[in-house]
Amino acid sequence: MSAVITASGLHKQYGKRTALDNISFSIEPGRIVGLIGPNGSGKTTTLKAILGLTSFDGQLSVLGMDPRQQRDALMNEVCFIADVAILPKWLKVSQAIDFVEGVHPRFDRSKAEKYLAQTKLDPNMKVKAMSKGMVVQLHLALVMAIDARLLVLDEPTLGLDILYRKQFYQHLLEDYFDENKTILITTHQIEEVEHILSDLMFIRDGKIALALSMDEVNERFIEVMVDAASMPAALALQPVSQRAVFGKTIMLFDGVSRAQLANLGELRTPALADLFVATMKGTYA
Amino acid sequence: MSTIGWNDNAPIYRQLKERVIGMMLDGVLKPGDALPSVRQVAADYQLNPITVSRAYQELVDETLVEKRRGLGMYVTEGARDKLLTSERERFLREDWPVMLERIRRLGLDVATLLSTDTPAPGVAS
Repeated sequence: MSAVITASGLHKQYGKRTALDNISFSIEPGRIVGLIGPNGSGKTTTLKAILGLTSFDGQLSVLGMDPRQQRDALMNEVCFIADVAILPKWLKVSQAIDFVEGVHPRFDRSKAEKYLAQTKLDPNMKVKAMSKGMVVQLHLALVMAIDARLLVLDEPTLGLDILYRKQFYQHLLEDYFDENKTILITTHQIEEVEHILSDLMFIRDGKIALALSMDEVNERFIEVMVDAASMPAALALQPVSQRAVFGKTIMLFDGVSRAQLANLGELRTPALADLFVATMKGTYA
Repeated sequence: MSTIGWNDNAPIYRQLKERVIGMMLDGVLKPGDALPSVRQVAADYQLNPITVSRAYQELVDETLVEKRRGLGMYVTEGARDKLLTSERERFLREDWPVMLERIRRLGLDVATLLSTDTPAPGVAS
């Protein structure tokens, strides 16, 4: 199968500031990809380029199209939820559905209504009467009813309580995602998505710091609870980071084999948040 | 919707597989029972569907579960017996020697331990 997104030498300059520095990557269909990076690292610029919302230099192909030239055709196949998901205050639920049905050829009204029936939203409710979580539910209902091949989510659960957040990803996996669809997510809530992702892209200062499948992550990165006696041997293997917990030292290794590490202490799978911290060391320094 | 804690010591797919095996041993999942769909498990536990598929595939490989075309996954007839055999073997091979060593080290008597329902420490028998 051919890639859903291919970027080659993607570059974006805001005046003197380089937002994206000649990055190259590709995303295959049927994947759930997390684009993760600190504030100002280029996440949103990357998404904007993919969605044809900004100019850029270099090559970018999304579903075989150039977002600069074929934006209208591309929008039939792509859905997007922005972190600043705003709907007009006066809009009723039913009007929102009417609107999307009118403008989007792949919208399935019954799907949206079925999803909304599971929520507290009713057709006559206006956006101004909704909580932030409800607005996201409405957005999700509209977006999931569109049979789009690519779904782009920019901080989709920002500001939502834990119940809404769990429900959001649950519906995404249950009602939207399948092996022909692709989801690209940016988020700061790494713990929330770490088991959902199939691929990981860390971005830093406009460059891709790490791009691996989760299988590769688990093969390459191993955490060891190092016994005191094994400290010198462990340090000799050059851990990428270390931290102390309850008098034990936890070290993170990149590309050292399990066999080599097994004698040093208990092996663990690193949490993505710890991997992120280790990769981004010195970002704000 | 369940909130499930995974530990960092084993891959998630293996932990999920162990959970299903636990349910078979406890009789919660009986021979002929259908397993929930990959999509359902992925949504409920917030896992990538690939992770769930991999756990299911290992259960298929060990013939504890069978794929019925177009219908889904089902617990096989001999699953529980097969599991009991392999789990007993594993207990005797891995768990029992460790336990026995500990019993000896603590100076406990195996016969006494087995004869009382709940051996109360410090109570003379």
